[in-house]
Amino acid sequence: MSEQTVTIYKRMKDLPSTRLLGAGTPMCAGCGGLQAVHEIYDILGEKTVFVNAAGCMTLLAVYPFTPFRGSWLYTSMASAPAGAQGVRDALDILLAKQRIKQEQDLDVVVLTGDGAAYGMGLSSTSSAIERGLDFIYVCYDNEGYGNTGQQTSAATPHGARTSTSTDARGFGGFKKDLFAIWAAHRPAYVATVIGSEPLDLARKIEKAKAMKGPRLIIALSPCPTGWDFDPMESAEIGHLAVKTGVWPLKEYENGQVTHTKVPSEWLPVEEYLKKQGRFAHLFKPQRNKALISEIQTRVDAYWAEVERA
Amino acid sequence: MYRIRFHGRGGQGTKTASRMLGTAFFLAGYQVQDAPRYGAERRGAPIFAYVRAAKEAIHERGVIREPNLVVVADDSLVPVPAAGVLQGATARSVMLISSSESAATWRDRLNFPGTVLTLPAEASEQAELCFVGAACTGAAARLLGVIPRAILEAAVREELSALGEDIIRRNLEQALAAFDCMEPHAGSVNEGVAFSVADAKAPDWIDLPVDESDAAAAAIHASATSVEVRTGLWRVLRPVIDYDRCNRCWWVCSEFCPDSAIKVDADGRPEIDYDHCKGCMICVAQCPPHAIAAVPEQEFSEKTP
Repeated sequence: MSEQTVTIYKRMKDLPSTRLLGAGTPMCAGCGGLQAVHEIYDILGEKTVFVNAAGCMTLLAVYPFTPFRGSWLYTSMASAPAGAQGVRDALDILLAKQRIKQEQDLDVVVLTGDGAAYGMGLSSTSSAIERGLDFIYVCYDNEGYGNTGQQTSAATPHGARTSTSTDARGFGGFKKDLFAIWAAHRPAYVATVIGSEPLDLARKIEKAKAMKGPRLIIALSPCPTGWDFDPMESAEIGHLAVKTGVWPLKEYENGQVTHTKVPSEWLPVEEYLKKQGRFAHLFKPQRNKALISEIQTRVDAYWAEVERA
Repeated sequence: MYRIRFHGRGGQGTKTASRMLGTAFFLAGYQVQDAPRYGAERRGAPIFAYVRAAKEAIHERGVIREPNLVVVADDSLVPVPAAGVLQGATARSVMLISSSESAATWRDRLNFPGTVLTLPAEASEQAELCFVGAACTGAAARLLGVIPRAILEAAVREELSALGEDIIRRNLEQALAAFDCMEPHAGSVNEGVAFSVADAKAPDWIDLPVDESDAAAAAIHASATSVEVRTGLWRVLRPVIDYDRCNRCWWVCSEFCPDSAIKVDADGRPEIDYDHCKGCMICVAQCPPHAIAAVPEQEFSEKTP
């Protein structure tokens, strides 16, 4: 967070204490994605229209029920940014024709999972950024196709077991660096957030809301069902993702990447891994030292590079 | 044709139970359909899964409305209207409930037209709950009477092959024990007749006037209507706040609650909305002064019958 920015969220007590998002959604108990989405919605406010690609969150607004205070549009998995373009254009036309007043304008917010953001929808996001579309993109990243039973996605981390990577080493590929891909388009703003760090999240959403142009947010979303842990641990696993350095909290603006929360002391990644059933094969029946240290080495290398920069 | 409907909660292995039973039927020489109801597979939420099996080709599709056997893996679902446990049952239907209460109690309690049987649930042992699906499969196989024990074992092995020998062994123990314990009722499920297209009656068509599009469109005209959905029914543990211990912090519980189910008043006093709390217990884990306790939901239903 750059120093000249004035945030109204200076301490935890400044966070909203009332909730905009309605209860009664069909998301799983302990959903880390819903945790982040309700925190984001509290900051964005009621004057938003959500454009939702197919995924878990599609189930938020199943007719006649919605947790939102305003409109919601459902698109296919690959085309939410195109849907957002249509909504933005319609609002602009209504503004130009003075059919709505400036204060009735809405923020257009895309909501997709990692399957759409990292994979199927990347092309339409790329072209929306290229066109300078004035929108906010929120990706809830639970590192797999959670809604259909946690198949591997382009966001699945190395070594994780998914329903399509079941062998002894788990997923052999690597999590795509979507932050860097988005930032390479030079949009107005890119940030990573997590629901378990609500103050950091609130400042970033506040900042994004005040800007124009493409603003893109990735929220790591601990997923009790897909990652296999007790729903009670959801926030704790979020904390560990940050404290072990697995999920760097950062933002991109004006060509610069800034890390917003750098712990003074790192916990070993295995503190994060061992809490989750999807990594259980790293510890049982015997400890897979090589794979654990491979994961640790990659995290260390990332932060070593941050320090050099 | 056999029509079997499974009811359970997300996380109990209900979908897997239907897969195992379907595979067992297949290995026993049947044509089989098995499928969970897509999109509802959320942890704690009511889950439905369906198995059809017949010696001839199956032309029916979709959900099972008139089951020959209803398997209920979680007895707390019986009073939940959304679960529809009793739906479509006839005098020829058999219902199997995994419960710590007796079959006689359930017969008294339910206006179920067919046979009610129970599979003794080891509710006290939290760790065993995840094998209830396997137990249901084993019991169902015996009630159907056309699946031999060895074929049940082969089906469980096949379906769980990716999960390792230890998990297979523990599931098999449960499945085979349930198979054996249903011996007195072996073969008590009647096969239903296959519906024929020729018997289907054309619906009486009613011409409806065309509405204005703003009245007829699937638009929702109010905010946050999701509160009409009582997700509190998912809960098996209830978070209870000890207000003497609560130090009116920066509403950690409310902020971290994914479900907007904890409201905070102007004095910083939190209140849990039990109509919607799904029982994830994040608040219990995160409360700084440990002022929230997790209490089994059963203790409340016993106090207020």
